[in-house]
Amino acid sequence: MTESLWQATRLVTEAVGAHADSWDRRGRLPDAVVRDLSRRGLLAAQIPAEYGGLGLSSRDNGEFTAHVGSLCSSLRSLMTSQGMAAWTLQRLAGAGQQAAFLPKLAGGKLAGVAFSEPSAGSDLSAIRTEIRTDGDAVVVQGEKVWVTGAAYADLLVVFGSYREGAGVVIVPTATPGVRIHRVADPLGCRAAGHADVRLDEVRLPADHLLSASGAPLAMLVTAALTYGRISVAWGCVGMLRACLAASIRHTSVRVQFGKPLAEHQLVARHLGELAAAAQVATLICEHASRCWDEARSDLVTAAVLAKHVAARNATQGAAAAVQLLASAGARDSHPVARAYRDAKLMEIIEGSTEICQLLLAEHALAGSR
Amino acid sequence: MTASDGQLATEAAATDPVAERLLRFLADRTKIEYTTDEDLFARGGISSLFAMELVLHLEQQFGVAVPGPELTMDNFRTVQAMAALVRRLQGGEPNSS
Repeated sequence: MTESLWQATRLVTEAVGAHADSWDRRGRLPDAVVRDLSRRGLLAAQIPAEYGGLGLSSRDNGEFTAHVGSLCSSLRSLMTSQGMAAWTLQRLAGAGQQAAFLPKLAGGKLAGVAFSEPSAGSDLSAIRTEIRTDGDAVVVQGEKVWVTGAAYADLLVVFGSYREGAGVVIVPTATPGVRIHRVADPLGCRAAGHADVRLDEVRLPADHLLSASGAPLAMLVTAALTYGRISVAWGCVGMLRACLAASIRHTSVRVQFGKPLAEHQLVARHLGELAAAAQVATLICEHASRCWDEARSDLVTAAVLAKHVAARNATQGAAAAVQLLASAGARDSHPVARAYRDAKLMEIIEGSTEICQLLLAEHALAGSR
Repeated sequence: MTASDGQLATEAAATDPVAERLLRFLADRTKIEYTTDEDLFARGGISSLFAMELVLHLEQQFGVAVPGPELTMDNFRTVQAMAALVRRLQGGEPNSS
């Protein structure tokens, strides 16, 4: 473990403490905590040092993300958004835009990334948000839904149509015409600040339009989501590890029918499958991060694969953990109960399980024609 | 473009190592034999993920970084265009556009 990864792990463990259950019940993360983590560069730990970031590798940031995911999926979800906003800037912005915005994301500001709309979820080609230039300004008009972290955000990275392709624009939430409505009762990651966003003729300086704007939507979205998918996948690894640890603790001491639960074969099978699910998810995430760190072109597919496998393993693993802990884990914000709800959302965001299956099938077919 | 133009373009690729390597990568990944001036996106063999994979492939294979302003459709539409982009990013040729 590198020194910076060790430091990051220690800092976030202290910050979360034993609060994750109450943050989940309240549906809020304390503002001071998330601001402080942003200021230390911990919400987007792959931002390069030249922009004030920690410059972690994907592999180290993955292990860090898994650790946060094992403690609090709401905070991990916020990290995914902040990291995806930063990566979108690194991949799609010009040098001046990177210099202007990346230090903010490693320096105390919070960001969300806005893809989904009322009529455009899995089918992002149906997005209606319109980005247009008007003199020396760029104007954004549209409606976004379920933007993770938007309730806390200072900046939103907004995807919309632009000229013959798509555009990406950085929208400070304080700009006139931006209205944010928190999703009142999300199923999972309850404190991740999901919100719907109205953008009503929002006027911004032209330099807020990222340089790659005009490129095909699929290219821009895939660039951003590749980071998001790896981050979500590592978060699922964390959930699986937490579920496995809680299951081992409980089944080792809880005695029924004269022996610890873990010595009953039907229980042991659950433990074995949960351990396998955690290990498989870890290995597949390590593979995706290796592709990232070696800048390999098969990264794009590896990220879809990692997200798909880890999210499905997490829903199955969390369900098994709730089954094993039974009444001991059946309180609403108990770690395994949270994982049960949080994991299901991971099968929906950053490409649903079914979209991942379609992408993987498309990839398999292309390789065998 | 006529078939013989495409043939000529492909033969020309033999003298352009960048284009030649790109044609080989495309054939390997899509099982389609493209010509250097063929619109890759017109035939429908390119998936939504593959467009980004192409970007990463260029960067890794030719040691360049494709910055945001260069991520245009026109730079990736044909093998010729990608080879020209690689040369431009390697500093061999000024941007003609």
